[in-house]
Amino acid sequence: MIKSIKIGALAIAGAIALAACGGGSSSSALVVGTDLPLQGASADASTATNNAIALYLEQVGGKAGKYTVTIKQYDDSTAAKGAWDDAQCAKNAQDHVANAAEVAVMGTYNSGCAKIEVPVLNQDPNGPMLMVSHANTNPGLTVSWDPGEPEKYYPGGTRNYARVVPNDIWQGTADGQFVFQEMKKTKCAVLNDNQTYGQGIAKAFADEFAKQGGTVVVNEAWDAKQTSYTALFQKIKAAGADCVFFGGIYDNNGGTLMKDSVAVLGDNKAFFKMAPDGFSGYPDLQGMPQAEGLYLSFAGKSLDGMVKGGGAAGKFVTDYKTKYGVDPASSYSIYGASAMQVILKAIAASDGTRKGVTAALLGGTSPVCLTDAESITGVGFCIDPKTGDVDKKSVTIQTMTGGKETDLKVWDVQ
Amino acid sequence: MAETTKAAAPAHTENSNKKWAIGFLTVVLAIYAINKFYIPTAPAQVKTFFNAWFSLTSMGEIMIYILMALGLNIVVGYAGLLDLGYVAFWALGGYVAGWLMSGQFDQWQINFFGNPPAGLPNGIHLNFLLVLVLGGVFTAIWGVIIGAPTLRLKSDYLALVTLGFGEIIPQIMVNGEDIGGFNLTNGTKGINPVDNIKLFGHEFGPFQLADKFLIYASLAGLMIFFSLRLRDGRLGRAWLAIREDELAASMMGVPLMRTKLASYAVGATAGGVGGVAFATLIGGVYAERFNFQVSIIILSMVVLGGMGNVWGVLVGATLLAWVNNTGLVQFGNIINSATGKNIDFPSFNFLIFGVLLILMMLYRREGFLPEARVRLIMHEEEFSDVAVVTDDIEVEGVHHHEHN
Repeated sequence: MIKSIKIGALAIAGAIALAACGGGSSSSALVVGTDLPLQGASADASTATNNAIALYLEQVGGKAGKYTVTIKQYDDSTAAKGAWDDAQCAKNAQDHVANAAEVAVMGTYNSGCAKIEVPVLNQDPNGPMLMVSHANTNPGLTVSWDPGEPEKYYPGGTRNYARVVPNDIWQGTADGQFVFQEMKKTKCAVLNDNQTYGQGIAKAFADEFAKQGGTVVVNEAWDAKQTSYTALFQKIKAAGADCVFFGGIYDNNGGTLMKDSVAVLGDNKAFFKMAPDGFSGYPDLQGMPQAEGLYLSFAGKSLDGMVKGGGAAGKFVTDYKTKYGVDPASSYSIYGASAMQVILKAIAASDGTRKGVTAALLGGTSPVCLTDAESITGVGFCIDPKTGDVDKKSVTIQTMTGGKETDLKVWDVQ
Repeated sequence: MAETTKAAAPAHTENSNKKWAIGFLTVVLAIYAINKFYIPTAPAQVKTFFNAWFSLTSMGEIMIYILMALGLNIVVGYAGLLDLGYVAFWALGGYVAGWLMSGQFDQWQINFFGNPPAGLPNGIHLNFLLVLVLGGVFTAIWGVIIGAPTLRLKSDYLALVTLGFGEIIPQIMVNGEDIGGFNLTNGTKGINPVDNIKLFGHEFGPFQLADKFLIYASLAGLMIFFSLRLRDGRLGRAWLAIREDELAASMMGVPLMRTKLASYAVGATAGGVGGVAFATLIGGVYAERFNFQVSIIILSMVVLGGMGNVWGVLVGATLLAWVNNTGLVQFGNIINSATGKNIDFPSFNFLIFGVLLILMMLYRREGFLPEARVRLIMHEEEFSDVAVVTDDIEVEGVHHHEHN
């Protein structure tokens, strides 16, 4: 018995010693947490984002003004779910606050996770603690959307959240403008996949399309569990539509949807079809003959566009490939580095406290801006100190040509 | 042989129950005291260590898992009804918290000793204790509604139907955003934030974790108490009788339907209370959480720990919940930093889990801490062949009698 207690005590002592290795911080050494789903479907994108951030930090010598900055990686997914997990997000939020050296968080990837973490970081007694996301596009986090949004995420009364990608309103809005003005379509059928992202983007598209002067002839959800959508497209055909917008993600039975739409309405040359970035980056879709000619859009710039644009973005992507041997998995990884730039800029302008870092970015009157030359995405932007939204609302329009997503143009929301 | 165990059991079990109860209480109070009084002023290394290995969020989660595993134990362990859809009750309880403790129904403005966030009075905001009770009652009613038609089924068929309900209820939550224009569940967006707990003038927000842990631990403690008391009572003995032999039990005058329904209702209540507690732990309710795997994990806690034995289930729930939310990641980190490799340990979760289950089934089918009765049944073959043979004959005799 006594022996086993001794062994137990030794084990605990050993574990303390191991855990202690990571400790030790002075006031000028600050930590920024990254909060990403490192397991499951988004694992590759998240790893690439962490890599891009590490590379960027290395390039600037780990410095933000007079402060030394290091990264601490958090995982907001669990193996059991293979995706972000609500309990893990809640725990991470508390861990960010508990880690005394940590001053800001880069993340999250999923809007749902941000909605759990932002209120907790907001109530931090030494905060509020800043979070800057590279990928959340749900509008409700920053602007009035669902009832109580966004105020309910900021119980402390001040903002502590910003993002470097335009929210779904702007992508849907850009798509609505593009379809009406450029493609000259007047009767659109708007579909959504009944999920947060799909509903948001479909609503924004429908609103803007109607505002431009078009008519939304069908506005419905598609059921991801259905085996055929023939009836749905018959209905759209009967309604006299000349365009279809798929507001949703490809995972929700997008393949069947695509095939049935072509079977009923004709191919994409004959009948205009468009999908947001929820359909981007899927090899299955790219290889599908029915997807040829499909219009796609993407919040911000595509990886392709960044590389071709040269400048800071082109160089960074090349550096990334040199260091890691592969291309970054998606442009979200570059936006991760971009969010890190914003955080570093806020840290440099602050007194090194959580409260100070947040105040440097949000709540003031003069916005934090990055010039075209500075910005790692190649396009300069400012963060609105009131909402935390980015002011550069560029949306990339692409077409599926020869099984590849090809940039058509960048649409700036008017 | 049966008589000897019967005679020895009461005094022995009571004694061991007391020991376990004191043990549970000591551990809970120790965790509370360490986190409340020691950690805030402790050196950074100690803080980091505790946060990595025994963070209060995961401790709170473990308490809620104990509560729910004990609820399922009543259905599976006591009454012997295989339930593969327990997650449905967690979901229902969670949504009760979402409906009654948040701004979800913003067309109304109700505040009954609740704790609406400053400046956002819309929605229904009831007191946490009241919501706990309502959550329990609501899920108990649903337990009966679901149970009434399904409990007439036996074994595999019952399992299939519970599986179905476990799938249907979360689907309703996912699709309940627009029920004739009424937003019941807010769909996949879920309901958040759920109000902070406020009891007797004290608010327990995201940073009063030690106090929140104590609240969840008291709920788990209550469930332990109820489980133990119920088992020894009239109802509990009826459940065990049904588990051992349904036909014999009904012959002895146990009302099958009513007794089974009671087990379903009690189990559901624990799931509902756990759901409410979990919603306040993470500050929201998300439809995506309520998937089949959760039902299976809770069932595994019961099976691994020792079906029917409260303390076994407690150990099973603690161990599995901890390994899932902390252990695997931390041990992985240690192994990775020691070997310089970069192995993603949590992704082997199910492999480890599966191997563990297979090993358990091969070498310790009755679980870590089996109930005395179950142990006897599982190890029947260890008794002499003669005994087994006579047993068989006896059983055959009973069947014969029945047919006549």
